[in-house]
Amino acid sequence: MARDPRHDILFEPIQIGPKTMKNRFYQIPHCNGFGSEKPMSQAYFRAMKAEGGYAAVCTEYCSIHPESDDTHRVSARLWDDDDIKNLGFMCDMLHEHGALAAAELWYGGPHAPCMETRCVPRAPSQIPSDFEHLTYPKEMDKDDIRMVQGFYVEAAKRAREAGFDIVYVYGSHSYLPQQFLTPYYNRRTDEYGGSFENRARFWRETIEQVRDAVGDDCAIAVRMSTDMFMGEAGTQLERDCLPFVEMCDEIVDVWDINVSGISEWGEDATPSRFYESGRMLPWQKAVKSVAKKPVLGVGRFTNPDLMVEAIESGSLDIIATCRPSISDPWLPRKIDEGRLDDIRECIGCNICISRWEIGGPPLICTQNATAGEEYRRGWHPEKFEEAENADNDVLVVGAGPAGMECAMVLGKRGMRRVHLVEAKDDMGGIMRWIPQLPGLGEWARVVNYRKIQIDKLKNVEFIPSTELDAAGVKEYGAEIVVVATGGYWATDGLNGCTHDTIPGADSSLPWQLTPEQIMDEGKEVPGERVVILDNDGYYMGVSLAEKLASEGKKVTLMTHLGHIAPYMHFTLEAPNQHRILHRLGVEIVTYHMPTKFEEGRVLASHVYDEHGHEHEFETDAVVLVTQRRSNEALYRELKDTVGLDALTSEGISGFYRIGDCEAPRLTADAIFSGHRLAREIDTDNPEVPLPFKRERRVVEREALAV
Amino acid sequence: MSVLVVAEHLRGELRPVTLELISAAKSLDGPVAVAVIAKDPGALTDAVNLEGVDEILTVQVEQEEFENDVYQQAVEQLVAERSPRAILLGFTVGSMGYGPALAAKLGLGFASDVFAVREEGGGLIAERSFYGAKVNGELEFPGHDSVVLLLRPTSWQPAEGAGSASVTAVQAPSATSRARHKDWVEAQAGDVDITTADFLLSVGRGIGDKENLEQFEELAESMGATLSSSRPLVDAGWVPGARQVGQSGKTVKPKVYLALGISGAVQHLAGMKTSGTIIAVNNDPEAAIFNVAHYGAVADLFEVAEELEKLY
Amino acid sequence: MKIVVCVKQVGALGDEVEFTDDERDVDPDYLDYALNEWDSYATEEALKLRDAAGDGEVVAVTVGEEDAEDAMRRALAMGADRGVRIWSDELVGADPITVARALADVVRSESPDLVLSGVQSSDAVQAATGTALAELLGLPRVAVVTKLELGNGTATVHRELEGGLIDVVEVDTPAVLTIQTGINEPRYATLRAIKQAEQKEIELREPGDLGTPASRVRRMFVPPKGEGAEMLDGDASAVAQRIKELVDERMKS
Repeated sequence: MARDPRHDILFEPIQIGPKTMKNRFYQIPHCNGFGSEKPMSQAYFRAMKAEGGYAAVCTEYCSIHPESDDTHRVSARLWDDDDIKNLGFMCDMLHEHGALAAAELWYGGPHAPCMETRCVPRAPSQIPSDFEHLTYPKEMDKDDIRMVQGFYVEAAKRAREAGFDIVYVYGSHSYLPQQFLTPYYNRRTDEYGGSFENRARFWRETIEQVRDAVGDDCAIAVRMSTDMFMGEAGTQLERDCLPFVEMCDEIVDVWDINVSGISEWGEDATPSRFYESGRMLPWQKAVKSVAKKPVLGVGRFTNPDLMVEAIESGSLDIIATCRPSISDPWLPRKIDEGRLDDIRECIGCNICISRWEIGGPPLICTQNATAGEEYRRGWHPEKFEEAENADNDVLVVGAGPAGMECAMVLGKRGMRRVHLVEAKDDMGGIMRWIPQLPGLGEWARVVNYRKIQIDKLKNVEFIPSTELDAAGVKEYGAEIVVVATGGYWATDGLNGCTHDTIPGADSSLPWQLTPEQIMDEGKEVPGERVVILDNDGYYMGVSLAEKLASEGKKVTLMTHLGHIAPYMHFTLEAPNQHRILHRLGVEIVTYHMPTKFEEGRVLASHVYDEHGHEHEFETDAVVLVTQRRSNEALYRELKDTVGLDALTSEGISGFYRIGDCEAPRLTADAIFSGHRLAREIDTDNPEVPLPFKRERRVVEREALAV
Repeated sequence: MSVLVVAEHLRGELRPVTLELISAAKSLDGPVAVAVIAKDPGALTDAVNLEGVDEILTVQVEQEEFENDVYQQAVEQLVAERSPRAILLGFTVGSMGYGPALAAKLGLGFASDVFAVREEGGGLIAERSFYGAKVNGELEFPGHDSVVLLLRPTSWQPAEGAGSASVTAVQAPSATSRARHKDWVEAQAGDVDITTADFLLSVGRGIGDKENLEQFEELAESMGATLSSSRPLVDAGWVPGARQVGQSGKTVKPKVYLALGISGAVQHLAGMKTSGTIIAVNNDPEAAIFNVAHYGAVADLFEVAEELEKLY
Repeated sequence: MKIVVCVKQVGALGDEVEFTDDERDVDPDYLDYALNEWDSYATEEALKLRDAAGDGEVVAVTVGEEDAEDAMRRALAMGADRGVRIWSDELVGADPITVARALADVVRSESPDLVLSGVQSSDAVQAATGTALAELLGLPRVAVVTKLELGNGTATVHRELEGGLIDVVEVDTPAVLTIQTGINEPRYATLRAIKQAEQKEIELREPGDLGTPASRVRRMFVPPKGEGAEMLDGDASAVAQRIKELVDERMKS
């Protein structure tokens, strides 16, 4: 297959400083939870993108000194020689694939709470962080300024030694250099504060010093936020950013341009719920109109035509991606080979980001189950080994996310025949109706990608509109049976707060509804007033609130938690979602748990009220978003009633279940479970996941001897 | 050696494909004869008496409507009397019912869904497509003095201009018709199956908001088209999945595919690019849809839609 | 009740194509093979009639090389009772009239009550084999059937014309009917049925006299790319006018 000539421009090389990028694809600095202390996971993860065609691949934010310690969140670190060794792996593997390696040198100032190092961060002014709690910085005097600039220089030298081709002086997301530039963080009255020239001084000097130290060998990159959307207090495009670009263009080799501060950095890492691809192009174009050096930036780009337009319209020279490179590290290669329908497009759910925000775990990706597993489990997103037991036929019952993924990977592993049997008339499971919630249209890409892939697999057949019962499964003729029948929202108010049902809860009544009943079964929400009970804490409650309020209902969103949808803080969706609910007049009631449902009203009490005083909420309808349950009836019947022996005598040698019908979980995890089973279908006991490689230090007993 | 065109008619009206067959016949060597097989052939002779037609052969039959045995036996009679070198039928449901049988019975040459014919070395070369229209092929008919060709509708311009053909009545034996017309049932609106629609009006992201969909639904109805859409509108829940055209939706091949506000993503094109006539309206001159469209307009689709509504 | 279903294994091209050395066909390496979509509807219709009658036999017949048995296995997996494959080297690239001649002897020897085929194959789209076969068998025929009801000595069928108009036809039986897609919902074959189909008998027969081919492919080629869309000029009103003209022209035949 050949590249579409319209996309040729994406494959033209470009010079940045002393280095050449072989094409216009750049993996922007982004977190993965591996840092310098899981160096193999880090290296394998980054190398996958280079193998996939990225011409330059960056670390995540890379701490230059123990004073810049973001624990509990995981950053990379370049503090000492051992860090040089560890990150050197990443550089070597990238170079093997012809990609440049970039280190995003980072000093966080007050945003870095130093919970491991117990150091004290320094900052232009002594104000606590607007992002972290209880972190006070030391206000920098001139000696501090020289010292910290020295940290950058030493870190840049370590980066060069590790093999990095590009080093950043990173300011975006309100980190130290940008703090100096921004009045919100900089209340100084000396030559480092006040006027534009003064506020720009620290950053400019640091760039000069880093350039002097390593500029002959490494390209110097600057990542800058053009606008923090905070009015005059924040960085502003015309007042601060464009003059800075003009001032420093000569000493910078490439500009990495985005928007937003740190407390609402979802304006940069835009969820698809609120923004389409290319959201930042106008700002990127503004910078490109004054810069002579190349400009790169992200925009959740998945469509090569949009990428070409971004370059041809003079907005960007280099197309950077973060999340689309996680969902498909081989994006550039697939464009190069004209295999556009094989691109696994990012859905903008920000599940990957949520792991970093939580602090600690490695990243995961809804679309790409292999993200983060390149080293741990040796999974390659595009390569699948022929199964040793390929000479078997497989029945997958249920074509939701887990079932589709499992059938697809089994197909790619060469199983003789895979039948993906689904009761409804199309693939997708819950992903058929979840994308119909407000703003979630792009989430349908989960289904679209798998549909196309399964269609291409000759050994996988999709059979819709067929509901199999236990006898049907038993007699189907498969040697391996995978049950993937999904889950459903509890109909009786069972929830994780009281661990009990709720008196009066019964979604068979016309005035009580579950999410499926509304979205998939078309059950009407009666009347004008509706109370949504959300014990879940992720998006279902607020999405339904938004939908019903947009349709004219008077909505009360009740939760036992202190915040609604707390998980959406981790996905960066919370601020805008709150704004929408506020605009729609949704009444939010926190810390409340219903004690009883009666037609016409909900009685609820405050969770910390020891007397349990009940408040009355008049309503016409109640929506139960209390918890999910597994649809395990078929599995149970097969295992308990029919029995494994009976299945074995029918020729069924493997009987498994995956996804929500085992335990409800995030879609990313449901897809992971289907993927894992398929990858491990030929192990001794596929039901039990193989151990994954853990990067940890193992101490021999002898080491204890002093 | 003449070229024989068999006129097609339905419920008393001449079908336009007949005029295209006449044009095709005129482009070949030999006099052109047009057969009108009907209960009242006289009512149709004027319509086929066009410039270039030399002879009109009327065959009066008992049956009001098409029956395949009747047509076959009448044409067999004409072939026996006239020995035409080519018998031109439309590639239509009617002709499928007897054209191949004619060729099999009389041992004639045969090809259907032909969109080009020419003379070469005293014989005919016919052109048709193969493998889902991805390749074309040239056919020859060695060993055949007479060939039955079913021609693809809309491949020739309809013939026009008044003619001066002679009209000859031909006696055909009374046919034993083993498949007899009983009744008509009008076409149903019914459940949407965009794969069988002849005319699709397809909308894409260009329509902007969900509220605008109604305008295009009405336009589709006015134009007699079935509404379909590209994937994003289905993902957003504005349009049911049954109407989605594309790789993860349905593959369609209507006579006319009118694409409004569709840019032409690869996955969408895969689902419609073999449509008969593709007309695309988009305000982006670089839209990929123009690469597969037969006709295009870089225009504001709302303005064009408004103007179209006025015409219907 | 015995029903013969004529099935075909069709080839589908992907995005790339190469031709054979003599350029008279596509290089088979570039083709993906499957049971012709119309034939699965025909097979399903036959199975429904057999099942409704309570007993009977559905025999699948195909003209094709050994690989073509894959498509036939599909019909057998759906429930056809046995299959017959007809082949000789003379049949390479055969036109539909020749294929009909190859089918005729075998089908005649089965003495079927009904013969079903698909309206057309997706690769050749001649829509001719069924009707030609009917003639060679001396049987009545109806092409493009969307509904079928068996009677006594006759059948009542719906013949679907362009635009969806239905011609209700009474046809004497035995007859040959070419079946249109959408007439039913073809049943899916379970893995068990597919495995069992591997064991079902497929008889191999040679064709009788094939006569003179009705046509011969002189060459195949990739159609030259058009110049892209013909762009319509003028304001919205002119564009709309032209669109209406084009639509009217295309729709009326």
